[in-house]
Amino acid sequence: MVLSYTRNKHISTIDCEDDTILSRCTVEDTFFAATVEIVVKLPDMEITSLKGTVDRAFGEECHKAVPLLQKVKGLRIGPGIIKAIEESVGGSEGCPRMADLLWECCNGIILRFTADSIAETLSKEAGEQIEGHKELVRKNPRLIGSCAAFAEGSPLIEGL
Amino acid sequence: MTALTFSRSKLVGIEYLAPDTFLAHGVLNDYMYGLELDFEVKLPSFEIVKIEGEWKRYTTPECPKAIPTLQRAVGWRIFEEGFRRKVNRIIWREGCEHFANLLLECCDAIKWTAFYGEWEEFKEKQSAPNKKEYLRKKLEDIPSLQGSCLLCASKITGE
Repeated sequence: MVLSYTRNKHISTIDCEDDTILSRCTVEDTFFAATVEIVVKLPDMEITSLKGTVDRAFGEECHKAVPLLQKVKGLRIGPGIIKAIEESVGGSEGCPRMADLLWECCNGIILRFTADSIAETLSKEAGEQIEGHKELVRKNPRLIGSCAAFAEGSPLIEGL
Repeated sequence: MTALTFSRSKLVGIEYLAPDTFLAHGVLNDYMYGLELDFEVKLPSFEIVKIEGEWKRYTTPECPKAIPTLQRAVGWRIFEEGFRRKVNRIIWREGCEHFANLLLECCDAIKWTAFYGEWEEFKEKQSAPNKKEYLRKKLEDIPSLQGSCLLCASKITGE
């Protein structure tokens, strides 16, 4: 069958020289195309700048959501950021699609750091990897119970 | 040259398996994880009737345990109140964050297919109503979208 709808979304991060990370999310789907780009300052992960474009949308109203991105400037990526994004950029006075792209940019930065830890663990010999995962949990106790891999009874949290 | 330090791609395709059934196929691929989802949604209730997931790459020997959790989504209706919370509480917390992420991405894609799909059909047949009328009708069909964004809110208030 021919597809009725396609969506292609890409999230990427680049480490910049001034202790900042640039995170960009682009979506191209059958009815909508847009990009959001944020710069985050390390080490406190403060959002220092934002840019966005709506390149294709069903209605003119959709373009009005772009300036709303500036409302999260100065916030830090951490607890409460999802709610802040939903309230500032999403909702009936905003655009849930743009809020979603902004959230993806923030999540991309978190995953960028997770990828470093995971790569370090997976570079160990097979027998040492379990200990590597445990070390990751020791550094991030909130991982316990966060998914099937770190659920009660998992060897990855045994003895912690 | 500046190299990427992280990259994630998500690809979603929606097709009509039958006039009353959407089939969603989703792929997520990033530096750490590779996974795929296929599921069917029955209309007009938008109920998930079948779902399958597959890992391509994962990071711990425990990750495959997330696959059976996907079956919990059978019977859920994607427009029901609290659907996102339920996905996060069960598919993520008892399964895997990345399968939950991809499931929500695919469900969002189904939502917009249902919302805008007929517009393209109308245009092809050169029988399109005006956009305002079209949106008003669609918001009646999918009440959970009423007032959900600038566009949908404006059509309800008639602005």
